[in-house]
Amino acid sequence: MAGGGGLVASNCTLQLKGVSKSFTRTDSQEITTAIDNINLDVKDGEFISIVGPSGCGKSTILRLIAGLIPPTEGSILLNGKPINGTSPNRGLVFQEPTLFPWLTVEDNVAFSLKILGKYKEKKKEVDRLIELVGLSEFRNSYPHQLSGGMAQRVALIRTMINEPEVFLLDEPLGALDAFTRMNMQDEILSMWRANKHIVIMVTHDIDEAIYMSSRVVIMAPRPGRIKKDLIIDLPYPRNRMSDEFIDYRKEIMENLNF
Amino acid sequence: MEGVKKLTRDDILELEAKPKSKVEKALDYVIAFLPTLFGIAHLLEYLLIPNHGMNKHTKIYTYFIGILIAVVFTFFIVGLFNKKVFAKLRYKAPFYSFVFFLLMAYDYLTLKTGILMLPYFPWVDRILNAAWSDRAYLLDCVKNSLILLFTGYFIGATTGLITGILCGYSKKVSYWVSPFMKLLGPIPSTTWIPVVMVIASSLFKGAVFIIALGVWFSVTLATMTGIRNVNKDYFDAAKTLGAKGTQLVTRIALPFALPNMLQGLIQGMSSACTALLVAEMLGVESGLGWYITWQKSWAEFAKMYAAIIIICITFITVNWLLTKIKRALLKWQEEVD
Repeated sequence: MAGGGGLVASNCTLQLKGVSKSFTRTDSQEITTAIDNINLDVKDGEFISIVGPSGCGKSTILRLIAGLIPPTEGSILLNGKPINGTSPNRGLVFQEPTLFPWLTVEDNVAFSLKILGKYKEKKKEVDRLIELVGLSEFRNSYPHQLSGGMAQRVALIRTMINEPEVFLLDEPLGALDAFTRMNMQDEILSMWRANKHIVIMVTHDIDEAIYMSSRVVIMAPRPGRIKKDLIIDLPYPRNRMSDEFIDYRKEIMENLNF
Repeated sequence: MEGVKKLTRDDILELEAKPKSKVEKALDYVIAFLPTLFGIAHLLEYLLIPNHGMNKHTKIYTYFIGILIAVVFTFFIVGLFNKKVFAKLRYKAPFYSFVFFLLMAYDYLTLKTGILMLPYFPWVDRILNAAWSDRAYLLDCVKNSLILLFTGYFIGATTGLITGILCGYSKKVSYWVSPFMKLLGPIPSTTWIPVVMVIASSLFKGAVFIIALGVWFSVTLATMTGIRNVNKDYFDAAKTLGAKGTQLVTRIALPFALPNMLQGLIQGMSSACTALLVAEMLGVESGLGWYITWQKSWAEFAKMYAAIIIICITFITVNWLLTKIKRALLKWQEEVD
């Protein structure tokens, strides 16, 4: 089991080897190459941010790792084994919360446990996580009664409850206001530091990438490819105003041609 | 959230509402009392104005109107102590008064003056008497109608849900079933009555088939649409959370399509009611539809009207129940109509 609450020292690895993904258009024979020959080695405990202009296939990479779509070429290995389809071990949080509107907050969070038949043994985990994100009062509310920030927090813990070895975040904070966003960044960081699994986050926000991740992957578009792989060597918690922080920002900006 | 919590919704509405002047408040009480006044006025009209010609009346209508007056008066008294009840009564009062007025006008035009003539326009007292004297028979008709209605409805709804789910989810099933739906769908199920009545081994079975057919169609179509429209993101989210195969159907597609399914079930009920009455009027020899044609052939218009009123009450009750069920099942939706 993944981590088992931190008792087992896990050392999982995720490898993308020569991964390409092409899409055929439905209305014509034209083929779009979303990403081309991506090679990426991710070690346990790394927090990777993928940044780049739109159309560079950032989300495609996450969907490939999640197993929602198969690669056209190349292979994706988790702990040396090729991935096959989706798995709760590779959790994906979408840009929109996509909470199931017919379930209460509590049932949304417990969805995965019920599907996997683990609800009875891990019921307390549901309570703990709801409390962690400060939504105890809303446990019986339906998604339409929540604000955007609350809904996204529920989406986060709904995926977290499986303690996935690979935690994939597709611009999870994109739709939030600045203050909620900064709070959520810290929440995600503390989750990651508690579990120390792999996190791969797609973001548009360069400051967010530097603030949160241990490594930033900068991509170039059409076809999507890795332009620069940058280690952020700063201690947590990071200061957004420090000189080093600003240097990193400069470097990333230059790589994105700004 | 926390600070506002102790107030209820009604408190807030009251606090924020424009203050009412004394005259307005008094007017509210007068309007709330109007139904009772109109009821009493009607009762006096019924008892005091002499009947036209040979027209006679009984005490049954007196009791009937008396009970109605008692109801609206109790409503008023409760409203004096309960703001919610009063607000509701204040809203409904003009219409209740109008109903009493209509009853009074109809009574005046038939029983009292004979402007509207027998046998086509029996006064309400006559209808009530007809219903009361034929009550055992009418109850039996209601029972038979309901048995027929629900047998057909459940068969149609069950098969409709099954085909709807299969068509919505599987392209193969849809390939074989959809063309038939497109071809047969626009034809009202009652069209088949003459054919079915001849072919079916019993009239009851034939009528069940006709009712089920209409229900089947609307439920299938609604369910199919609902399932096809499931947002793909929900499937993706469920997959990454570990859902597979049939779990995607039972945990995502079905709850998502539930509003559509219920809409189909309610629409199916109205088509079932139509089919039921037509079938009963054309072939089946029991039930309210049959009772109406039978009484009409004897020119017993009072009994006919009694049956129509009972049909109305029955169908309203059935639809009210369905709407209640719908609301209970869809409480997760933002707005339930």
